[in-house]
Amino acid sequence: MSAVPRTPVARPEIAATTGIARRRPAWLELATSGDHKAVGVLYIAAALGFLALALTELVLMRVQLIVPESTLIGPEIFDQLLSAYGSTAIVLFGVPLALGLMSFIVPLQIGARAMAFPRLNALSWWLYLTGGVAIYVSFLYAPSQAGTIPFPPLASDVFSASNGVDAWIAGTGLAITGFVLFAVNLVATLRRNRAPGMAWRRVPLFSWAAAASSYMLLAIGPVMIAALVMLLIDRQFDGVFYNPGEGGAPILFQHLSWIFFTGAYFLVLLAATGVISEIVQTFARRPLPSHRAVAASFVAIAVLGPLAWMQNMYSAPIPIGFAYFAMAISLALVVPIGLILVNWLVTLWRGELNVRTPMLFALGAISTMTIGLAGELGQSLIPVGWQLGGSAAAWGDTHYALIGGAVFGGFAGLYYWFPKLTGRSMGDGLGRGSFWTMLVGVHVMVIPLILAGLNGQVVDIYKFYGGIGLDGFNLISSIGAFVLAVGIVLSLVNAAISARGGRAEGHDPWGGSTLEWFTLSPPPPHNFDLVPDVRSATPLHDIRDAIRRRSDASHRPSAGGGPAAAAPSADDSHSEAPVA
Amino acid sequence: MPGLLHPFRLLIRAAALGLLGLAILAPIAHGQAITPPTPESPNAGDIESAYLIALVVFILIVVVVNVGLILPAIRSRGRRRVSAARAPRRRICQLRAGTGLGLLAAALFTVGVVFTERASEVDPAGPAGLKAAAGRTAQVGIAPPTDAGEPLTIEVSGQQWIWRYDYPDGIFSYYELVVPVDTPVILELASTDVLHSWWVPALGGKFEANPGKTNRTWFKAEREGTFDGQSAAFSGPGYASMRARVRVVNTTEYNAWLTRQAADIQSAQEAVQEQVETGTVPGLDALEVSG
Repeated sequence: MSAVPRTPVARPEIAATTGIARRRPAWLELATSGDHKAVGVLYIAAALGFLALALTELVLMRVQLIVPESTLIGPEIFDQLLSAYGSTAIVLFGVPLALGLMSFIVPLQIGARAMAFPRLNALSWWLYLTGGVAIYVSFLYAPSQAGTIPFPPLASDVFSASNGVDAWIAGTGLAITGFVLFAVNLVATLRRNRAPGMAWRRVPLFSWAAAASSYMLLAIGPVMIAALVMLLIDRQFDGVFYNPGEGGAPILFQHLSWIFFTGAYFLVLLAATGVISEIVQTFARRPLPSHRAVAASFVAIAVLGPLAWMQNMYSAPIPIGFAYFAMAISLALVVPIGLILVNWLVTLWRGELNVRTPMLFALGAISTMTIGLAGELGQSLIPVGWQLGGSAAAWGDTHYALIGGAVFGGFAGLYYWFPKLTGRSMGDGLGRGSFWTMLVGVHVMVIPLILAGLNGQVVDIYKFYGGIGLDGFNLISSIGAFVLAVGIVLSLVNAAISARGGRAEGHDPWGGSTLEWFTLSPPPPHNFDLVPDVRSATPLHDIRDAIRRRSDASHRPSAGGGPAAAAPSADDSHSEAPVA
Repeated sequence: MPGLLHPFRLLIRAAALGLLGLAILAPIAHGQAITPPTPESPNAGDIESAYLIALVVFILIVVVVNVGLILPAIRSRGRRRVSAARAPRRRICQLRAGTGLGLLAAALFTVGVVFTERASEVDPAGPAGLKAAAGRTAQVGIAPPTDAGEPLTIEVSGQQWIWRYDYPDGIFSYYELVVPVDTPVILELASTDVLHSWWVPALGGKFEANPGKTNRTWFKAEREGTFDGQSAAFSGPGYASMRARVRVVNTTEYNAWLTRQAADIQSAQEAVQEQVETGTVPGLDALEVSG
């Protein structure tokens, strides 16, 4: 019911959908398929499952921190939850949700029939799932208690004797290996499989974000794998990479792991900015002022983001020049991030907004991410970083940015593309309810913790002491965490219900401008019968213009459909495009 | 909007607003919660100045972006959409916007460098301080001043889960660091086991205690009193109770404390020696067997 009168509908002609006989049960088809759409759905489903686990861990930790010196959950279980939470939230949820959307959408957006290496795509998902399972299987014997990132020497076999850290290393390493393979595949797909006419300047912004993230993943993934392998050698084979007593250096692991985690943080934000750019253009009904500037900003973020890793290490024994380097890079990020925001805001102000549920989540994502990034901007000043890094305020800023990017941004993408994934839309009422609950929850959870951090609360503690002004902050924050959890669960339930019971949608419910809307929902295995010649960054607008022009020509001989110079004329070459 | 006045919806909205209000208003009731604790040392003062500048930039960005989001969203409510025709592009100057953002980044970088340098510069001792004299200033980690007004250097060692302080002349203490007022104190941070992080908010920022490499920071307490802090690097199950306290006293009291601490250490050592000689130290048998 996209209820947009007078908009011509560009209807794909797909012949070969009914003729395909299903040979095997659906689940087996899904699990063994190399189809980028099946793998995308698997990535998204697994990521949402791990989101539920991360949320459970977060809520349990906040339950422990409701009152001062609580003894409800002891330090051991708290530290287990903490150690699982960090990797679950970013390695098992944030990054794979982004990759899942990319796997499903990018080939469609660039008019490809498949990924370059279909089976590599399936392998990457299986590696990721195995990694996640390895981390959680360790809960059956002795999970890691070495913190969100297990820094040696605490993660060494001396201070963490049980095999939990080994499970963490294996699980994280497998998942990241999967991500690197995925990135190889996506880079190859983006380079080789674009539709005719789909020059880089016409590649949609979400695919640009996917390209930038993939190249970044190729750089940062192997760094983390190397760090993990060295840690494993230290633990199991008497290595001394991180052993200060034998000439090793614990700070090496800090450098290597922060390169990866800073990069992963920006990967999540990049994917979210890609999603938001698509949604803003669709629901404001106008293109961003400069496609080129936004795409260039994505590339700049992918290059500069991981280079800012030492922003997390201002208090470590590094030369002050290194800290200045990190501060310069962090502040340089103001330019691309600010430019993207300017482009979004200009589009919102000049456009005709239609605030449907995906748009609501996208606006929430912009708002929440901006608060987090502005906070990180403050903390990138070295003196402020000295005071607030490692405090609950730093935790708060990171959570603003990542909840904004991965949860609000990821859900925006999910609500936007769910009709393409399943042929059905997610419920509106439940979606809006989920949005407002999440928005209240995130602020009520994070604001008090930022203030507690200013007043001396540190991160990762299993208890805080009473009588030093932290009681109220923690109580309110815990309430906020419960509200946030309810909001997120509403959307997860919405997705589960709507996958089968949602309202059936046509192939283009929102009036999008990119090629993924030019095929059926869900798309047939080969995506397109005939990919139209791409002549601009908004091929579906071109097709609509052509139809409008053709129908106008039959009624009024002289009327034009729009001033856009890139639109194809309804001449012979275009009449072959599959427009009805 | 027919559903707007539905009692259930009203209740939900009131609850949401109440929660948000609680999150935002509680700190205001709490006093000076949006800044770090009152600085008691010159470097903490520099940190707070940088923080206040960052806070202004933060508030500006958050307000501008959120107003820019919310106004168009409100404006669009109830408006009929007529056409989805492609709107004509009006160019905004990307280069000009980028230049403006670049200037903001450059200004912030300057602020960062200035306050980092100022916060690293060790102040000379004040009139009430130990060895008060017209001292030279020095950068932490570069060259400690050698003439009069030399700062007090204390080795701070993090260990699971307590801080140990080694003063000059072999005197040491745990948990509580006792220092003279108005005297620059250089802390040489190290760790005997895992990573720890020294943080007493009123006296400056965090500095990591790393087992591989010595780290340095400094402070100069400007008044007598006790200042509390907590380790800020996860270090295992006892991490939450790894607190620190700095007790600032006048120089006479400091010297008296040093003497008393020396005597206490001496008598403790003698007591242990006596136990060793009489064979009443628990676990001594094992030691003797292995020795």
